[in-house]
Amino acid sequence: MFDRDIWQEIFNTLKTNKLRTFLTGFSVGWAIFILVMLLASVNGMENGFVGQFNDDATNSIFVRPGTTSKAYAGFEANRRIQLKNDDLEYIKQSFPDDIEYISARYNANATARYKSETGSYFVQATHPDHQAIEKTLVIAGRYVNEADVVNKAKVAVIGRKVAEDLFKKEDPLGKFVEFNGLPFRVIGIFTDDGDDNAERRIYAPISTYQRIYGNTNDINMIALTYNPTYDLTKALEFSRRLEDLMKRRHKIDPEDQAGLYVWNYAEAFENISSFTAVLKGIGIGVGFLILISGIVGIGNIMVFTIKERTKEIGVRKALGARPRQIINLVLLESVFITSLSGFVGLFFAWIILAALGPMFQTPAFSNPSVSASTVITATIILIIAGVLAGLLPAMKAANVKPIVALSDK
Amino acid sequence: MIEIKDLHKSYRMGSNSLHVLKGINFKVDDGELVAIMGSSGSGKSTLLNILGMLDGADSGEYTLDNVPIKNLSETKAAQYRNKFLGFIFQSFNLINYKSAVENVALPLYYQKVPRKERQEKAMKYLDRVGLKPWATHLPSELSGGQKQRVAIARAMAAEPKVLLADEPTGALDSKTSYEVMDLIQKINDEGNTILVVTHEEDIAHMCKRIVHLKDGVIVEDKKIEQVRAEQYV
Repeated sequence: MFDRDIWQEIFNTLKTNKLRTFLTGFSVGWAIFILVMLLASVNGMENGFVGQFNDDATNSIFVRPGTTSKAYAGFEANRRIQLKNDDLEYIKQSFPDDIEYISARYNANATARYKSETGSYFVQATHPDHQAIEKTLVIAGRYVNEADVVNKAKVAVIGRKVAEDLFKKEDPLGKFVEFNGLPFRVIGIFTDDGDDNAERRIYAPISTYQRIYGNTNDINMIALTYNPTYDLTKALEFSRRLEDLMKRRHKIDPEDQAGLYVWNYAEAFENISSFTAVLKGIGIGVGFLILISGIVGIGNIMVFTIKERTKEIGVRKALGARPRQIINLVLLESVFITSLSGFVGLFFAWIILAALGPMFQTPAFSNPSVSASTVITATIILIIAGVLAGLLPAMKAANVKPIVALSDK
Repeated sequence: MIEIKDLHKSYRMGSNSLHVLKGINFKVDDGELVAIMGSSGSGKSTLLNILGMLDGADSGEYTLDNVPIKNLSETKAAQYRNKFLGFIFQSFNLINYKSAVENVALPLYYQKVPRKERQEKAMKYLDRVGLKPWATHLPSELSGGQKQRVAIARAMAAEPKVLLADEPTGALDSKTSYEVMDLIQKINDEGNTILVVTHEEDIAHMCKRIVHLKDGVIVEDKKIEQVRAEQYV
């Protein structure tokens, strides 16, 4: 296989038929180019989607109260459900193994003022765990901690935009800012990959805000992340258990869709995964169809080459070449053209992706790229393709009768 | 060396079959130089094909160097051809993208002789036909006579038992023909068995024995006084 003579012969045939080799190779190179570009595009879309959702932890579940739509357990329909601190504790104690992080949310709006600057912001009062659930990235200072919650401390973690709006060039850390007239100490600044609005937000300890709003126990929502080792089935099963439990606790009809919303991220994520999987499948399918035409093209040319070289093959056989040696020669030539042109296609696709890929950073499409696995798969495909393309011509060549060497035409 | 007994061969041409060889009996001893003559259609090419194991006979026996040649698989035939026979063709049949020395080395390649040894042997035989200085030239850079000499070197490189020459001078002018025949005679002088298929009287008379074929049978088989080609060169 790695015989110098065989390679010499292959190079020679290719050299003497440059245009033909180029045209043949082009079809396969083009096919691989398209295949790789398609896969890279799907990859880019996937990256885009994942990027959009990565803002939150992908294993998160949100529990939000609603208004019942069915009468149940002696209660009439249209009853408003209100979650309280107890609910959080109850969930925590009911599912100690299933839950990774859990936090309540209490939402409010605040008019913030620092010196002469004012602005209206959305305040989300949370537990410390919320940082992990929302994947909040603190760039200076710290997030709300357990002590803040216990002490009902008037502290705030402000978004980068809030800091810019109110503090201009000053360092906000440790400074006091007024929310609806009450002074809060800035303990941290966070950033967010999402849009600017995500950075125009303020986090505060939940207990602090519950006290401000009339010493309430009410919470707006419970956010939690489940055990990250869970797969989709386990995750969905857990969120079903959670939903059942909460509905029982609040006396909501198990069939009532409006009373309580348990929204599992995994479901949405699964939809996207299957969507991109379908796209990938289409990409591979289309690429393969194009590749088939490339293979047929190479096979065609090889048949032609064999026909042209019939006499030479006959001479070789008369000199003692075994059918097997002839088959090897043709197959190797076919695999060589296919692989070489395929890699050229792959290389061009890679160059284009490397050059243009970073320019695509829209939310729906980011960083299209060729992975190592794509390259390995392509290589295997090319070798198989080369063998397929060469198989028929090789058999034809092996069947050449050495008699043709004697016939003089 | 070669022994043929009652060899028959017919070709099917559509519905009727053409009986080409009608019982050939024929023996060639070691060191002979035999001319096989006959007009076209006499069956001489078919006989050569069978002798060269390029085609099989319908019936009859063929023994080459005491090895019965019968029902060979393609691979086996290739092995035997490589081991026993050296072919010299009318149109030389050199591989046009290989240099002279590479062409000569080709049968050795199929014998799986290591590259270096192959190269040395090929050079030796190229030297014997007087073309050592042309070793790296492509066939297109050689004259007709030189090409045939390369082909003869190639046929000899594998050190076969028998050289089969099919109209070796058919594509050459008379002067070059005599040069090639001179070479063939010298190779024969060294003890090699050679069969030459030809339809040219003067070429046939440069052999030591003439076998005349007509309509599929041997009509004449005689030893002759060899005319040396040297005197015409």
